[in-house]
Amino acid sequence: MARLKDLLLEDSPGKRVLLLGNEAIARGVLENGIGVVTTYPGTPASEIGDSVSLIARDAGIYMEYSANEKVAVEVAAGAAVSGVRALVAMKHVGVNVAADALMTLAYTGVRAGFVLVTADDPNCYSSQNEQDNRYYALLANLPMLEPSNSQEAKDMVGYAIEISEKLELPCILRTTTRVSHTRGPVTLGKIVKPNLKGKFIRDVKRFVMVPANARIQHKVLLRKMSETLKISEDSPLNRVVREGSNGIGVISSSAAYNYVLEATDVLGLDLSILKLGMTHPLPKNKIIEFMKGHSKIIVVEELEPYLELQIRALAKDYAPNIQIHGRADHPELFPKYGEFSTRTVIEAFSKILGVESPINFREIDEKFAEASKALLPRPPILCPGCPHRASFYVIRRAAGGKAICTTDIGCYALGIQPPLQIGDILICMGASVGTASGISRVIEDKVLAVIGDSTFFHAALPGLVNAVYNNHNFVLIVLDNLTTAMTGHQPHPGTGITGVSAPGKRVLIEDVAKGCGVEFVKVINPFKVKEAIQILKEAMQHSGPAVLVFRAPCALLVTAEKRRKAEPITPARIISEKCTGCMACIRLIGCPALVPSDDKVVINDALCVGCMLCAETCPYNAIVMAEEGD
Amino acid sequence: MEEFNIVLAGVGGQGILLASQILGVSAVKEGFNVRVSEIHGMAQRGGAVVSHVRIGEKAYGPTVLEGNADVILGFEPLEALRNIKYASDKTLIIVSKEIIVPTGFSPEPVQYPKFEEIIEKMKIFTEKIVVIDALALARKAGNTITRNIVLLGALAASNVLPVKNETIEETIKELVRPAYLEMNLKAFKLGYEAVKK
Repeated sequence: MARLKDLLLEDSPGKRVLLLGNEAIARGVLENGIGVVTTYPGTPASEIGDSVSLIARDAGIYMEYSANEKVAVEVAAGAAVSGVRALVAMKHVGVNVAADALMTLAYTGVRAGFVLVTADDPNCYSSQNEQDNRYYALLANLPMLEPSNSQEAKDMVGYAIEISEKLELPCILRTTTRVSHTRGPVTLGKIVKPNLKGKFIRDVKRFVMVPANARIQHKVLLRKMSETLKISEDSPLNRVVREGSNGIGVISSSAAYNYVLEATDVLGLDLSILKLGMTHPLPKNKIIEFMKGHSKIIVVEELEPYLELQIRALAKDYAPNIQIHGRADHPELFPKYGEFSTRTVIEAFSKILGVESPINFREIDEKFAEASKALLPRPPILCPGCPHRASFYVIRRAAGGKAICTTDIGCYALGIQPPLQIGDILICMGASVGTASGISRVIEDKVLAVIGDSTFFHAALPGLVNAVYNNHNFVLIVLDNLTTAMTGHQPHPGTGITGVSAPGKRVLIEDVAKGCGVEFVKVINPFKVKEAIQILKEAMQHSGPAVLVFRAPCALLVTAEKRRKAEPITPARIISEKCTGCMACIRLIGCPALVPSDDKVVINDALCVGCMLCAETCPYNAIVMAEEGD
Repeated sequence: MEEFNIVLAGVGGQGILLASQILGVSAVKEGFNVRVSEIHGMAQRGGAVVSHVRIGEKAYGPTVLEGNADVILGFEPLEALRNIKYASDKTLIIVSKEIIVPTGFSPEPVQYPKFEEIIEKMKIFTEKIVVIDALALARKAGNTITRNIVLLGALAASNVLPVKNETIEETIKELVRPAYLEMNLKAFKLGYEAVKK
């Protein structure tokens, strides 16, 4: 088995390989002749775009990291209305950004296959909320497929393209973190060469959504949805996978389906399982028929009761004597928040069906409560050498604890942790700018807004123009680490590198700010601590919006580059005789490489990358660069 | 084989994802069904990271059920303990002595618990504990970044895996950066020998 790029490009149908759900979707792109792939990176969707980025040139695919999800949908839609198959991938909250385009694209429809992948994040592993995007399918009237493992993720790209072309409608492919970020075996299919030669055939009534046309296209969409219902009824993606004899039927989909299989095995239950792979529209008749064959139905799904509400409505009309169990009657067993596990389903089945679990979870919990007395929390933190740590230190020194600091989506959100504690409000991409504007209107204290480079291009521009136009009074600090770090180091407009690692036109943040009419714009490396403090103080004196670009590359990129070139990474060293154990370094910057030891501080040289920010904090000049051989 | 479950626990940056991938790819090569669960994004940044590798026909879901791990491979003592609920008295724990003091939750310097105390707490679940100085062995191999491969070597030496050691070595050759290959093979050997002794 080879490295990812070769693996994805391998033209050997029938070969079985191990792929992440997201990588499997990228392979699905290749096997279905998809010509255009767009994305804005976001966990848990990022590896879809990243994998396509690796293979795009060789496979003849056009791939781009778009400035945001709305643009990504529009670019992909442009290709699909011109007859070229397209796929656009994003995390769940990205669909909020793209929703304006998506809702009306449903009216116009497409001419070649169009797949929108939404990767939801139950349990907020790397997100600001855990919204359930299945409701977007319902809201937009679009067909939706939900894989439960890597093989299905790849295969469903094909089904989605087929459905999309049959109906000339976008098709949603919805994953969750546990589908996107689980590796499983995938049997490869045939690679289909994409067609990138499109043709735009004018059809003003269909594609120009002025009210007169939109009214008609809405009806067209609704008619298409009744056709979609037939597809769902007949789809092999909606099928009874186990036929039991105990009168109990379970309906499930997505990641939860796996837990149902395992819980059923652990409890040794002889029940039936209806697995739903196409979850909008639901196969009404198939569900009614399944219900009628059982006395009790249990619906197992994560997050919102999306399936359950529809199934209960069907039961009321068509199978009123059947008992339905799920979140509505057992919210304590099937919570609406977080993610499920096999344990969730074992405990739920035990309670609902009155069977005993062979695993004594209570005993495990009691033992764990005792064992965990020795535990300490370990939240995610800024990496050693992270330029954001330097920026936050500069902000603390320049603004003290007084300024209100709005923050944004990215690694720098980790700045809220002690000791730096930068970040007073965080809502969504770009909101640091808008909220800073509103807060600065109504409070006396100085307001700072912190945003990352990629996030700046994604969603800060309207907010910045608005701040200039309405003369809002705050300092916008752009933490430019020259990459989209949190999601795996994708390029963005400020890097001047395209999605396929080719040189592109670089858009400079400072030029954008000046072009928007910001009068105070300066660029500084935050590791030049004293200079940066001075400039920030000046900016805070400026009346009206000011923009500072704190520019220094992501520490992970710097170390990766050194490792690639086999260059040594020289850590810092503490001169023990000089260290008084005052702990100023730890209390001021909280770097994980600074470790208290016998009333002094030592450097963990397996973590330190030698950024030397700590040296700035030491009142006794006890921190120096380690020498070769130290 | 119905299922064989490995829980890999440590701190973001220790190479847990690569180690899990090597195990998963090796198992697929030998024709097994596999699930490898990973956590990416924000959760990865120096925070607690856990990955589950499940091998066998009954492995449908991404995560191991409490009490059902065959092995816990601890890259860091506290993190091994954090995942101890996956262990039963049959579980083998291989734990590295490398200590990474957690930060980010207290403005004051943090006192890391005594290593012996952590081991005592693990013993509430299982007595089968192997301690290994993976960081020292990785340094001996040439670079601390090979600590994950040292631990895979230790795991291979424990003779519990359903996957052949040669397959794991073969996968390492395919998945690690060529410039670091020699170092990693040495790391694998050092980890293996440390446990065999």
